[in-house]
Amino acid sequence: MSTSESELVSPRALVSGGRAARPTLAGPFDVKEREVAPLSESTVRVARAVAEAMFASEEGPPPADRLDWVTTELRGFLGHSPDASRVFRLCLFLVTTLGPLLSLRIGFASRPLEERTRLLERVEKSPLSTALLGLKAVLCMLYFEHPDAARSIGAPVGDEGCKVQA
Amino acid sequence: MTPVVSGRAHPRGTPLVLDADVVVVGSGASGAVVACELAEAGHRVVVLEEGPFVPGLDHGAMRVSESLRHVWRGAGLTVAYGLGDTPHINMTMGRVVGGSSVITGGVCFRVPGAVLDVWQKQRGLTELSERSLEACYASVERAVHVETVPEHMRSRSTQLFAEGAARRGLEIKPIRRNTEGCNGCGRCNFGCPHVAKLSVDLTYLPRAAAKGARIYADCLADQVLMKGERAVGVAGHLLNGKGGGPGDAFVVHAPLVVLAAGAAFTPLLLRRSGITGVSGQVGKNVTVHPGFRMIARFDEEVHGWAGSMQAAYTDALEHDRITLVGLFIPPAIMAATMPGVGPSLLRRAGQVKHLAVFGGIIHDEGGGRVWPGLGREPIVTYRMAREDRALIPRVIREMGEVFFAAGAREVFAPVLGAPGMSADAFRAFPFERVHARDIECSSQHPLGSCRMGKTREHSVVDPYGQVWDTRGLYVADGSIVPTSLGVNPQLAIMTLATRVAWNLRDRVLGS
Repeated sequence: MSTSESELVSPRALVSGGRAARPTLAGPFDVKEREVAPLSESTVRVARAVAEAMFASEEGPPPADRLDWVTTELRGFLGHSPDASRVFRLCLFLVTTLGPLLSLRIGFASRPLEERTRLLERVEKSPLSTALLGLKAVLCMLYFEHPDAARSIGAPVGDEGCKVQA
Repeated sequence: MTPVVSGRAHPRGTPLVLDADVVVVGSGASGAVVACELAEAGHRVVVLEEGPFVPGLDHGAMRVSESLRHVWRGAGLTVAYGLGDTPHINMTMGRVVGGSSVITGGVCFRVPGAVLDVWQKQRGLTELSERSLEACYASVERAVHVETVPEHMRSRSTQLFAEGAARRGLEIKPIRRNTEGCNGCGRCNFGCPHVAKLSVDLTYLPRAAAKGARIYADCLADQVLMKGERAVGVAGHLLNGKGGGPGDAFVVHAPLVVLAAGAAFTPLLLRRSGITGVSGQVGKNVTVHPGFRMIARFDEEVHGWAGSMQAAYTDALEHDRITLVGLFIPPAIMAATMPGVGPSLLRRAGQVKHLAVFGGIIHDEGGGRVWPGLGREPIVTYRMAREDRALIPRVIREMGEVFFAAGAREVFAPVLGAPGMSADAFRAFPFERVHARDIECSSQHPLGSCRMGKTREHSVVDPYGQVWDTRGLYVADGSIVPTSLGVNPQLAIMTLATRVAWNLRDRVLGS
């Protein structure tokens, strides 16, 4: 590789440590800074109400900071992926608008916490279970990425879970 | 070396016009191979990729959810819609420079001999023999460093499955993967944080760039430009519009166009370009390897994430068209597959360190189809053959029994809302009567939507990937694979792409 070529290679391009050194592609790492499409406040409010019920323990709702984390991350997650946003919002509608009808109720977010949890349990055993799985997949992933939540279930954070520690 | 250029960084209001000898649409396992082989042969190559560029080591700077939203198509929520008695299938695809090779587990299988037999004897593709493909295999395996995963890199999750399989008389074999210096972090699906999985953004694409290939990220190809029956380039849009949507137009003029956008997108590009062929097969015959996971809880702490994410498999059930392959699911996502909400969900999530996982895929007959969607995304439907549908309970029962043989306390089957089951409950569970819509199913291997064949009446491309009745237009990705493989297809796709590239180099461009 000539000097001019090596200048174009990422500063971290030559990777070693048990591996053959090899050049990698150079270019900007900007995906995390990319513009986030806004999510409506009502979507965020209802999603938070679902998360609060989904992660409620016998002692009550999850810590507020973890719900704040989930809603912040949800804005980024859906805001960076319009296709995922459409799927998530459809699932949210099915679970929180049609779901309550299974119990002859209307509305979800305004119901007491225990009732919301029971409603979700009922949805899980109904034909709307696929929609709940969609919500659960996204919300669980975000919720348990909070380092405290991850540690609370014994899951590793960062590189803690590697078999071979660098 | 030419750095990757982002279409988003292109100044707005200025269309981009490029000239090249070859334009390759898609930078994944097949597009990267073609780009590299032709650039190294001295041709001017342009590679177009819809997704962004993420430098290798920066995958480690992203959490799982960040990787999903930036690197996976549709943040991982893409679905093949099940028709009739068929589950909906979560279909995962990469959308990044390097394509799905960035998010695979790195598993490398050669095309099984029985599959090659079908290609030769039933499809007339006599050129595709183990012997004739040997040089292509060797080239790819050397380029991406295919190695056998040593036993000591197996996770405890895989070890437990192997123990159970041995007790049931199923031979477990080591998997080969394209890795070097793997640390066993179990997160290959989210971009290797240590650049130890040698995806094509770390291997073929840097080689191509070193020979002058120009790689454009954030560029959406809309159609192949045709002049009569000859391809003359590709047109599309840079993703420098509002919110990263289509903005300025681009055109790449090139006498040779290679489509490598994957089985879901290549047929759409052909259709949008007015190319449907006489066979009427564009977008049809999609196979997906319907996949199912089984989670098992053990008394011991398993820490299943620690180890090579995919380290072992068994083909002992291949006579029934079933392959069981090791895998792991990140704990946060595994928690989502646990039944229950509220306190019961938290209780089960708290057991993740006791959980082991394995997967099973069906060597399917096909039945998938790619349709144009309302926007730029395709709609994929899948109607499972009756014989394949009948295999689902078999796969589930076999995986559950293997885990019970290894001492599992309970298993969590891929049935929505089903509780954790003891061995007795599992054996009594009526899997045969579970409605298809209640079965969790996923696919990482869509193939065959522009299948290769000997005659234009029955296929979309000829045995060297050329679209029938066109000149200068080739397909090199998984869409040309003639039938389902029954094993992970990454190596097969790269091998067929090498064959397409070498033919172009030696017979088309060479002349």
